[in-house]
Amino acid sequence: MTELKRYYAPTSLDQAVECLKGGNVTILAGGTDLTPQSQAGRIKFRETLMNIRHIPQMSGITLEGKEIRIGALATITEIMEHPLVREHLPALVEACDHFASDQIRNAGTIGGNICNASPAGDTLVPLLVLDACVELASMPETKLYRHCMPISTFFTGSGKTRKSLCELVTGVRIPVPAAGHVSRFYKHGTRPALDISTISIGVAGNLKDGVLSNVRVAFGAVAPTPLRATATESALEGRHLDAATIEAAAVAARDEVNPIDDVRATAWYRKEMIHNMTKRMLENVAQA
Amino acid sequence: MTVAEKKHRIIEPDSLIGKRIPKMDAPDKASGRTRYIHDIDLPGQLHGKILRSARIHALIKSIDTSAAKALPGVHVVITAADIPDQRPIGVAKDHFPLKVGRVRSERDEIAAVAAESEEIAEAALKLIKVEYEDLPVIGNPEDSIKPDAVLIHPEPHGADGTHLHLKQGTSIAHRGKADNVAMRFDYAHGDVVQGEAESDAVVEDTFKLHYVTHCCMGVSGMIAEFDAAGNVQMYSNTQVPFLHKREFAEYLNIDPARIRIIQPPIGGGFGSKLDIYPFEVICLYLARAAKRPVKMLFTREEEFLASPTRQPVLLTLRSGCKKDGTLTFRTVHTLHDNGAYTSWGATTPFVMMQTFSSLYRVPHCDYHTAAVYTNNPYAGSFRGYGNLQATFAIEQHMDMLAAKIGMDPLEFRMKNAQDAGEVTGQGMSFKSCGFKECITTAASRSDFARKFAENQANQKKPGNIKRGIGMASMLHVGGGAKIYPSDGCGTILKMDDFANVTLITGASEIGQGSETVLSQLVCEELGLPISAITVVNNDTAITPWDVGVHASRTTFIAGNSAIGAAKKAKGKILAVAAKKFDCTEADLDLRGGFVIRAASGEALVELSKLLRNLHFQEKAELVMTTFYYEPPSVHQDKGFKGDVSAAYAWGNQVVEIEVDTDTGFIRLLKVTGAHDVGRVLNRLGIEGQIEGGVVMGQGYAFTEDLMIEDGKMKNPNFRDYKLVTAPEIPEMDIAFIESMDGEGPQGAKGVGEAPSICMAAAAANAIANATGTRMFELPFTPEKVYRALHGQTPKRYWKPWKAE
Ligand SMILES: Cc1cc2nc3c(=O)[nH]c(=O)nc-3n(C[C@H](O)[C@H](O)[C@H](O)COP(=O)(O)OP(=O)(O)OC[C@H]3O[C@@H](n4cnc5c(N)ncnc54)[C@H](O)[C@@H]3O)c2cc1C
Repeated sequence: MTELKRYYAPTSLDQAVECLKGGNVTILAGGTDLTPQSQAGRIKFRETLMNIRHIPQMSGITLEGKEIRIGALATITEIMEHPLVREHLPALVEACDHFASDQIRNAGTIGGNICNASPAGDTLVPLLVLDACVELASMPETKLYRHCMPISTFFTGSGKTRKSLCELVTGVRIPVPAAGHVSRFYKHGTRPALDISTISIGVAGNLKDGVLSNVRVAFGAVAPTPLRATATESALEGRHLDAATIEAAAVAARDEVNPIDDVRATAWYRKEMIHNMTKRMLENVAQA
Repeated sequence: MTVAEKKHRIIEPDSLIGKRIPKMDAPDKASGRTRYIHDIDLPGQLHGKILRSARIHALIKSIDTSAAKALPGVHVVITAADIPDQRPIGVAKDHFPLKVGRVRSERDEIAAVAAESEEIAEAALKLIKVEYEDLPVIGNPEDSIKPDAVLIHPEPHGADGTHLHLKQGTSIAHRGKADNVAMRFDYAHGDVVQGEAESDAVVEDTFKLHYVTHCCMGVSGMIAEFDAAGNVQMYSNTQVPFLHKREFAEYLNIDPARIRIIQPPIGGGFGSKLDIYPFEVICLYLARAAKRPVKMLFTREEEFLASPTRQPVLLTLRSGCKKDGTLTFRTVHTLHDNGAYTSWGATTPFVMMQTFSSLYRVPHCDYHTAAVYTNNPYAGSFRGYGNLQATFAIEQHMDMLAAKIGMDPLEFRMKNAQDAGEVTGQGMSFKSCGFKECITTAASRSDFARKFAENQANQKKPGNIKRGIGMASMLHVGGGAKIYPSDGCGTILKMDDFANVTLITGASEIGQGSETVLSQLVCEELGLPISAITVVNNDTAITPWDVGVHASRTTFIAGNSAIGAAKKAKGKILAVAAKKFDCTEADLDLRGGFVIRAASGEALVELSKLLRNLHFQEKAELVMTTFYYEPPSVHQDKGFKGDVSAAYAWGNQVVEIEVDTDTGFIRLLKVTGAHDVGRVLNRLGIEGQIEGGVVMGQGYAFTEDLMIEDGKMKNPNFRDYKLVTAPEIPEMDIAFIESMDGEGPQGAKGVGEAPSICMAAAAANAIANATGTRMFELPFTPEKVYRALHGQTPKRYWKPWKAE
């Protein structure tokens, strides 16, 4: 009862992007979004179902020059446990730690989380504050073409991205943070595991003598996409993290988000939590 | 063993009572071997699926099933028009399984298909075309009682306005109802006006209780099959097979004798399987039409949409007391959201009024409920049966009245708590009562008094984390409930040549552990190990009558019945042995698989050997006994007065929490409970029962919320309907108060429902203790708590309203 005609499991990136050329392909990674979505009838499989899990170029977590590269197929568990991530990217570890449950974390991939482009996708907020770039691959003619796109420009709407149907996300690249860099992530759910974020907050920057610079703040689940909070960032940039600055930033945060009411919370409560928890996180950073 | 040794073998006294006995069904369940209804498939079986309404409240203008019927693999498609003899189901007979001319709620059944696979049946549903004409939706009970409210059950008219030619009948389904009041209950003792005049302190508040549902791990399902002679065999998850046998016969217009119900292991009941639902009758219609077995299983989404819920209640309570702490009166008005049809939820006042009238000594009590129709889901019975709702209101008022007269909440409760020997205004007679001991035990084990004072002093101090402690008490039937002509249970017991026992009991096992506890009681009488027994409890063609699993009655009623049968077997065995050993029966006993001398414990003969001797002799005999137990309770009179249960269960739970005032998050830290259980029979079983009940109460209080907006369910899935998950379960300290009930089996009382009752009320009191803010509406989700703490929850007042 589906239009699915073909199952394909490429073993190289070239094979995969060549298959994508026609465009009529559904990509399967961990399947933790795809399966429930198709079961509920919210998405339809295209003609070809392509399982990308056997493509070696898409897995692993490595240090490449001044960047940490996380393959699109890295699972949430792998990321959470990886020494490079644990050493340099605490906000991402925090996000993985509050992600779904063990079973889902063992199957779900970061590439899937990015491409699913949910406003509540938990790795997206830390990726935003860590200045990550999304690696894309395609085959416009006969040759493999790869390029990177800042994640801050990648999302265009709920479930929508700049990636075309012929493109594959192969990984993300994150600059190795300099000394003095701090990053935090907070997920607001109603239970310790297996919850979708009501809101989420990421904060990062360089902290020196109580002054925060190169500030990045991002919010999840308050808009159609996870987003950078530019007004909040300006309220913090170059300032001493004292009580007044923190309160001003928390107010700016509350004022710049425009969330909706849904089964998880009302817009009012979301704005309150953006205020209260941004404040709490900044106080925590100030004490670091 | 030599003959000489055997002669002198002494068997020490031993008892199974109070021991930790693993549930007999546990190994199969834990290893995935249990065959639930989902795992049963009959040869030639078809799969049934139901088309539900696409509208909340509408007239059905037309139904076109022709395309569905033409789909290959489809055997039968039915609508109400195909079942001219359709009879209304439900407590108020206001509900046709397949809807006639009108849909009244989201889950309403319009058509059904039996096909060769579930996929084909699903595809066929999509081919059925229905035309509707929308009607105004009543989304809450307050709108339902407005003078100009649309009627949910008007006199049935066809789409063209002419009277529908329903088969004659006098039920609401046939005749309609001229107002939206489905049921009403009015109870009183004493004179509340006098009570109020004597009061020094009076409080009045409106409480609002929400929708939750059972969330059984096994979704609903059934298999129906007709044999060539027209006899029906059903595989059904019912909790009440014998009552349903009669009811199904009525719906099929056949003799009840032709119906056989087999219950496969049931994946959770909690009261949800106490009524007959449309899908079951529809499954029978399909099987009858298809002349093939038909299996119908719900999807999880359907389980949410089409299962009953706990009864949502709007309740205004007025209570008073004197300066010295004596309660004076209670006036209660409730508005029950009946949903579109009437099931057991509407009758929760039976239990609610008991709590209001009799949990504490109240000289004057006035109670009124109107259950009114809306276009919402309808409520069924659910563990606790209205008692969670009643207790939520009463136990908050206990704290509030205590505060008003400046008395410690513990002392206030103790002052008004019932004692053994008391007969209440409602006629309940407390023969055994460990209530006060429950209160003092839970309070002292949790260090209630000290923490209560400390937290209160902390409310105004800086810091966003506040601790709170709160308590609540409960009273519930613990010795059955005489609702039906009989509240009894039958037992057949047989012993084989190897001294193995088969216990054939009417009592259904729904996961609660009844077969284990019944086995224990029988083996205790017969001096046998638990391994020597087999339980047969799931086939109406074999088992003797029982009223069903409800009202926390199985251990008490079926237990006494099983003991009765075992005692008769023992009597027969000892009579034979006394003859053989030339002594009196009183000189002998059964122990460790032997007939022994009672005084010395000396083993005289192996029981199996004695039984074989009895069997293989000239005047051959077997040991087979029967017993029917009817509890010494009485029916209530028209004013709801009378001693309905043979025993009553008591309890008190103390809840400790931590509130984050910046987010509204509450962490449940600890629950200390003390329950008067009569006597602990299976310690492992009762611990599981209490812990599970606490967690169910926790879900009701904090996380579970079936969101209904204008009749539409917003969250029919486990992502958004939040059951408590493992890391949220608190530390528990549970104490058992053994009041040794004189009528109870080995002194025990029923406790199945008891543990879930106090949690929400105690949690509300804990929030007030932590923050100084009272919450009158459930559930205590972070946003609701945050709103209340930040003055964003307008205080609701529902002006008491009484049906004409
Ligand atoms: C019970 C449960 C709990 C969950 N909890 C959370 C949670 O707490 N937080 C959270 O953020 N998410 C949660 N999710 C959602 C999901 O697990 C994550 O989004 C996960 O990261 C998806 O990864 P996947 O590999 O399973 O993706 P898939 O389901 O395989 O794919 C998701 C989408 O991305 C596309 N896609 C996947 N990989 C690529 C690629 N490399 N290139 C191009 N397109 C691709 C697919 O075609 C599909 O459209 C939960 C899901 C479930 C079922």
